[in-house]
Amino acid sequence: MTQRLWALLCKELHSLFASPIAYVVLTAFVSLSAIFFFQHVVTYNRLLFLFQGEAIGMAGFDAGTPPRQLNILEEVFIPTSGDLSLLLLALIPLITMRMFAEEKATGTDELLLTTPIRLWEVAVAKHAAAYFFVFLLLATSSVFPAVAIEKGRLGLEHLLALYLGQLGYGVALAAIGLACSSLTRSQIVAAVLAYAIPFVLLDFGWLEPLVSEGVASFLGQLALQERFETFARGVLELRHAVYFAGLTSIGFTVSLTSLELGRAR
Amino acid sequence: MGSLAAAGLVMILSGLGAYYATDRELSVFSAVNLIGGPLLLIAAAVVQARRVGGFSGARSRRAALRSAAVLVSVIAAALLLTHLTDDWSAALDLTIERSYTLATQTRAACDEMPPAASGGVELLFFEEAKLAKEVELLVRSYRAVCPELRVRTLSFAEAPPAARTLLERTEATVVACQAGRCEYVGFPSEENITNALLRLARRSAISAYFLIGHGEVDLADEGDDGYSGLVAVLDAEGIEGRGWIGPASGAVPERADIVIVAAPARNLLDAEIDALDAYLRRGGRLLALLEPGVRSNFDDLLARWGFDLPDGVLADELSSPLLEDPNPITLLVNGFGEHPVVRELDVRTMLVLPGARMVRAARKPEPEDRLRNIAYTSRAAWLEQNVEAALSGLPIAPDAAELRGELPVVAAARYPRGERETRIVVVGDRDFVSNRTLASLYNRDLLMNAVWWLAEDERWIAIRPKLWTPDHHPLTLQETLSYFYFFAFALPELLLLLGIAAWYRQRA
Repeated sequence: MTQRLWALLCKELHSLFASPIAYVVLTAFVSLSAIFFFQHVVTYNRLLFLFQGEAIGMAGFDAGTPPRQLNILEEVFIPTSGDLSLLLLALIPLITMRMFAEEKATGTDELLLTTPIRLWEVAVAKHAAAYFFVFLLLATSSVFPAVAIEKGRLGLEHLLALYLGQLGYGVALAAIGLACSSLTRSQIVAAVLAYAIPFVLLDFGWLEPLVSEGVASFLGQLALQERFETFARGVLELRHAVYFAGLTSIGFTVSLTSLELGRAR
Repeated sequence: MGSLAAAGLVMILSGLGAYYATDRELSVFSAVNLIGGPLLLIAAAVVQARRVGGFSGARSRRAALRSAAVLVSVIAAALLLTHLTDDWSAALDLTIERSYTLATQTRAACDEMPPAASGGVELLFFEEAKLAKEVELLVRSYRAVCPELRVRTLSFAEAPPAARTLLERTEATVVACQAGRCEYVGFPSEENITNALLRLARRSAISAYFLIGHGEVDLADEGDDGYSGLVAVLDAEGIEGRGWIGPASGAVPERADIVIVAAPARNLLDAEIDALDAYLRRGGRLLALLEPGVRSNFDDLLARWGFDLPDGVLADELSSPLLEDPNPITLLVNGFGEHPVVRELDVRTMLVLPGARMVRAARKPEPEDRLRNIAYTSRAAWLEQNVEAALSGLPIAPDAAELRGELPVVAAARYPRGERETRIVVVGDRDFVSNRTLASLYNRDLLMNAVWWLAEDERWIAIRPKLWTPDHHPLTLQETLSYFYFFAFALPELLLLLGIAAWYRQRA
């Protein structure tokens, strides 16, 4: 069983990295995250220069004394966390959209469904390959922030918290993307769905005027948006880990169910 | 996926797009799209459900039902777990200073909270306040650590009347309340929140009397050299600081838990010296802050209680290169003895003393007295005798006649004689608690440790709760640029080349 699973995983990874889209997504993610990070560092340095200059006389602050709120955490890492979240949201569906849908479109799913391979092995292999890709995305983009975090004396543990949070979020997005891909044979539809679901989950504030207070409060607990900043502040909260694990398991079960329904039909 | 579902998705995305683009205003356009979109999706799902007829045999229908049941169970379990864990405060704090792991004093304060059942203390957290996002984690930590503390998240409009009175003056993120009495929490740090809780929980305030009228530092002075910050810090910790003019009253007030004497520039009257001596003999508590070049007969009183205070100013070649101010008389002190006043201060937690006298616990007035030197300079220090040159910033260097080595700068003593033990702490610098330096490094910790030790309330002795102290000089622009070129261009270029190779291989 392990051998079969390993073979399936290798096949998924091979087909992922044989396609140029994986490299384009990796390039875009590394490049854009570095540019965003650089922009925040430059803005931060400019603000520091302003506050530390002799001539400045801003109300409430003494010349040469940057305010407490002006630090690398508030000015660089928290905005970077937001940027990374958006980048993951924009790029992960491009990878996941083809993983099930392409097999359906080309008819190779029939082969999978009619062989003695267990369906959960197929689902696990596809999900593991996608999660590995998310890990790779974050790992390649983490070096620049790691240098800054070491220099800014925030501690590498803090960076670990930020990236573990992003990994949980990225894995959940990948699971949603794969679930969407398993529901359709069109890659475009899979991608649009994979954008739409996290977009809906982002914040349920718009529903508040339409539903009762209790429902609004429950929906508030399901919102995605509030979950990023905690990680950027260096804290791993169990409730957020449970939330991401929940989204991932739903995504996995949807894709597995979709395969099972395909075989049953 | 039918056209109905596609139309539904487009409507939802348009509705949400308009909602976010208009700063979360739910316009008619957004509402129509956000209601219509899901309806179309439901219609599409109904149409899709009809295709279940495609499951021809009973076995395949059973398999389909089983899969659907598993899916529904997983979704229900995930929703339930998310709902149940939303109130959990379990978290792993990976910040470098463990900013969200509450300090020992906070935990001790929590243990002292009156039970919630008998109208305990409430912490009100206003989620619409400016600093709410930054403080939410901290408030959750209180919820986890203090079972008797009721933490409520509410809007300004929901604030109870006592809190509303505070909020009328200025916006607050956190307010602590008990039995209709509320305490304002300024910047919502752990330190300030805990202090507010302590003020509510403590029944009677400690009184600290400052001797004034002999050229001591002005308590109301808000300039760099003043003590307004010191008085505010004491007040925040529930200690009432007030001036005491010796000759006017003749004796130290009965209510004085601690007397603070900050380097009188002129001699005290004999009656004042006698009053202070009598106060100490009946178990008084004295915090004496000295200053190089400032001498009076108060030094003689300290000498009678066993302290040796030689002339001169301490200079240290080792500490000055670490400071922006290269004057060797600005001391960085990180050598500490074993004593409650310097508990938890070590080589990493330094004090900054901008010009200090040597203070030595020299002799015991009585055999049972306990006198200790508790903070020292580095071994490269010397006792500069040319005080005037040193204080005016002229270059100074040690000469053979001057004392050299690890020299004491803070001393503490206990005199267990009568019913109540007399306690004295002497610090060789009065400026270490001036407005300019009180918040520097760990000066405030030494001050508060000394005050709590003198007040015999040693539970609060430890490092005061702190949030992360930002480093304002992480990456220079030059460093940033060199890293930027590698990570934004060189690495992506390499990845693209790999992609082209993969594409070429696939085509081949």
